[in-house]
Amino acid sequence: MATLVTLPSLPPAWSPPSEPASSISPLVQRRLIPAGAAYLAHIKRTLNNHTFDEYDKQLEEERKRLELLNADGLNGEDDLGVGDEEESPELLLLDAKEWKKQDHYQVLGLSHLRYKATPEQIKIAHRKKVLKHHPDKKAGASHTTNDDAFFKCIQKANEVLTNSERRRQFDSVDPICLSLEEDDPSASDFKGREKDTAFFFKTFAPIFEREARFSKKIPVPMLGENDDSKENVHAFYDFWYNFDSWRSFEYLDKEVNEGSDNRDDKRYTEKKNKSERARRKKDDITRLRNLVDLTLGLDPRIKRIKQEEKEAREAKKKTKGGMSAAEQKAKAEEDKRKAEEEAQRKEEEEKVARAEAKKAKTAAANAAKKARRQQRAADTDEAAPS
Amino acid sequence: MAPNGLIPNGTAEAPIEISAVPSIVGINFGNSYASIAVLTKEGIAECIANEDGERQIACAIAFQGEEMYIGNQARHQLVKNSQNTITGFRNLLGKKFSEVPQAALSVSAPVIQHPSLPDTPAYKVKVLQPAPSPLKTTAANTPAASQVATPRSEPIEAERVLTVSEVTTIFLGSLVQSAEDFLGRKVLGAVISLPSWFDDAQREAVIEAAEDAGIHVLQLLDDAGAVAVCTAAGSEEISSDRTQLIVDLGASSLELSLLSVREGLAYSLATISDSSVGGDDIDSKLIKFFAKEFTKKTKTPLTVAPASDPLDKRAEAKLRLAVEHTKRTLSASPGAATCSVESLKDGLDYTGSINRLRFDMEVRSVYDKVYAKVKELVASAGVDLYDVDEIVYIGGCACLPGLDETLAEGFTENVITPFKAGTVAGGGIGDPTTILARGCALQAQLLVGLAGETEEVRQAFIKGNGTSSVSATSRTIGLLVPQVSAEGGLGGVWVPLILKETPLPCRRTVTVEVDVSGSEDRVGFEFWEVSEGVRIEHVKQQKFEDEEDESQDEEEELEEVKEKTISKEAFLASLSLSRSNPSKGKTKVQVQAIISSNGAVDLSIREVTKNGLGEAVTLTVGSS
Repeated sequence: MATLVTLPSLPPAWSPPSEPASSISPLVQRRLIPAGAAYLAHIKRTLNNHTFDEYDKQLEEERKRLELLNADGLNGEDDLGVGDEEESPELLLLDAKEWKKQDHYQVLGLSHLRYKATPEQIKIAHRKKVLKHHPDKKAGASHTTNDDAFFKCIQKANEVLTNSERRRQFDSVDPICLSLEEDDPSASDFKGREKDTAFFFKTFAPIFEREARFSKKIPVPMLGENDDSKENVHAFYDFWYNFDSWRSFEYLDKEVNEGSDNRDDKRYTEKKNKSERARRKKDDITRLRNLVDLTLGLDPRIKRIKQEEKEAREAKKKTKGGMSAAEQKAKAEEDKRKAEEEAQRKEEEEKVARAEAKKAKTAAANAAKKARRQQRAADTDEAAPS
Repeated sequence: MAPNGLIPNGTAEAPIEISAVPSIVGINFGNSYASIAVLTKEGIAECIANEDGERQIACAIAFQGEEMYIGNQARHQLVKNSQNTITGFRNLLGKKFSEVPQAALSVSAPVIQHPSLPDTPAYKVKVLQPAPSPLKTTAANTPAASQVATPRSEPIEAERVLTVSEVTTIFLGSLVQSAEDFLGRKVLGAVISLPSWFDDAQREAVIEAAEDAGIHVLQLLDDAGAVAVCTAAGSEEISSDRTQLIVDLGASSLELSLLSVREGLAYSLATISDSSVGGDDIDSKLIKFFAKEFTKKTKTPLTVAPASDPLDKRAEAKLRLAVEHTKRTLSASPGAATCSVESLKDGLDYTGSINRLRFDMEVRSVYDKVYAKVKELVASAGVDLYDVDEIVYIGGCACLPGLDETLAEGFTENVITPFKAGTVAGGGIGDPTTILARGCALQAQLLVGLAGETEEVRQAFIKGNGTSSVSATSRTIGLLVPQVSAEGGLGGVWVPLILKETPLPCRRTVTVEVDVSGSEDRVGFEFWEVSEGVRIEHVKQQKFEDEEDESQDEEEELEEVKEKTISKEAFLASLSLSRSNPSKGKTKVQVQAIISSNGAVDLSIREVTKNGLGEAVTLTVGSS
């Protein structure tokens, strides 16, 4: 009932009437029309023998379950989990002219997805933001002239993120990821924690997951687990030492002053930009290499594998007929001697070969000279024999 | 983080193509008109127009030459090509030829015995078969040498015999095609509404015809069911417990049902259908009026409804098409509505107009018939017109405000009609022309959602299943606060909790405010079972001074004055609780009554305080 009925209170001299009826009037049989949600609810209650309270509880659970599903964005219905991100007041004050400095993901409300946002999600996010911030929507609401500033930022962000090349350029220097990179652990962080395997994996797994996005080659092997096989671990380090990255740093280029006609000026800036890019790229490669080095150095699996290899070697030795140390030494010496002899012999052979080659050469030269002498009888000059 | 971290730059996962809105269609399949409704993106059922822009699609199929016309285009063929136009086929579905009344004068193609199938009604129409393909062509695409004469390249006249089922298949197919064109997707299933008097054979025939057209029929819903689905939600003004009168004034028949709607659960208290009253009668009255006008204007004799002369017949068909527009104009505005027909008879054009007042006068007899039927229905259910809380109209003719005005006279002043609520026009919730189709679409949505339910639940929606029978209360139960000084038969303030004719099990919760004026801190109620009635008193009509002269010679008429009465039947229980905050003023109390399916009543009251609900005081009245 929508309206609240106001009742008077009981009269003071009220006492309940005596002899209450034992039951209500006889029931009548009817046939329901099998239609509507209420009928479905009625059927469910009847078939499951639920009371109203039980049914309410069930409905509540169902509602919660659906809510959870929706919260996950798994309903996939229309926004693919883009969600609605509120803009902070600072964000709304952004200037579109300074678009290079803005965080495009944050502008489109995708800061929870960042580089993982799919083109579809970007499209949806852009539409959502446009719907909210289009200047037409704001017409009349406030009369400031700067109304479409944030809309321009949105357009700029969309422009960057929908162009795959420009998006890569931005992703390469994504401010949030850059700050994460700065927080990467150094060797000093692991001082005294060398034995802490869990800490190692917890620290490095996300880092490699993050770095993986720059790879030209897919799939990228991940750090993996503590009990990975030797092959996997080697494959991992192999890949990461030969990491082929598409990361580039054009985005940070200094603007060429378009207004100036000075060609030299332009060229100078371009040159500077180019060298800056190269420097950054080099830095980035070094950074990654250092990172992999650090990982390799700290990796408990490598230690384990080395240990295992050593054990295997020793086990192999032991199984090989139990040669004594002396015998082994003698054998080694013999090997050495043999090798030396071999080397000596080879050297001698080479010497002989060299001498012979020299001889042949001299003979040929002599023959030629002889011919010339005969040709020119007046030749008195004495040719050197070499 | 991504599960495998292999997403370098936003790999596009295939977008999930799940639409929240299932592609289903609700079909109102009437004898004269049909309508279709689909669910919009917002999840609201909406009646859609077919390719011709018609929301009311005439159930007619016409054949002319090689063409086949369906819907309102086919109706226009009734003028010149009536022998090849099929109308009114729905009511023949599932019937044997011997069961079809032959006497009825038909303006369209006559029903004949099917030449090969025994005892099957059929239609015979003349069509033009497309021309046979030219001579066989060889690989070089030149006609092969042939001795026979070149076949005719014109289409050949032929006769085509169509059974009623085939006609229905064609028609339903075209409806679903329209819906698919609108949705841009294949239709998964349909709910079709039919009148409640359709027997099993007829229902079977409808399903068969629909399946032939490639439509998956989810349910055949009674008209009343479609209305219940559409109106179940209730609104601010309408309580969710009410008695609903459904007036379905279609083109060919009148159907009335009285429903008891209790929080969306509906069952029928009584139904009446009468094929002697219908929108066609209104049409006949209207064309008679216009024919008379025509004769007056042009001195050309014209007798219609019924017409005997072939020329008159054609004129009648033309008029019938034209008054459709007139009726719609009349429903929309009280001003003059025109009717124009070119070359009505003897090459004379006709343009006339009629205003709503005149129109209501002309069709008064139809209105009165409907009113009489309504009275009959309500009496057969053992209730009074005053017990009806809501009237719902179905059908194009029910859009006429005159009908509502006529009916409203007999009901209480606060009966809710779509005209009063202002929901008639513009596809509102009470729009009589679309309500059935929308109800069907909503029901289809519900049924499609049943996919995850058990077989038992799904079976419950099939007609004739035992799960639909329930026990219902026969008397209203409510709470009473006795007052010494209260007037009326109850001696106190009465708040109904569970109305009579409520299916069990049921639960009702009412929150009331209690004005605690005295110093005592107890709040209590008595629970009573009551019987309701209507007291009819005949009182002298009040006369105004200035009218006295005119009505002096008239006999003094007695006017019926009705009043709802409630009388105590049985005392069930009394409950009281002490207040948590014993101060003067008002307090809120929640009263809940649950009646289980065997008739046991659980009553409980609890105080609503600022921090939630207080301790409940409960009591059970034994089962019967």
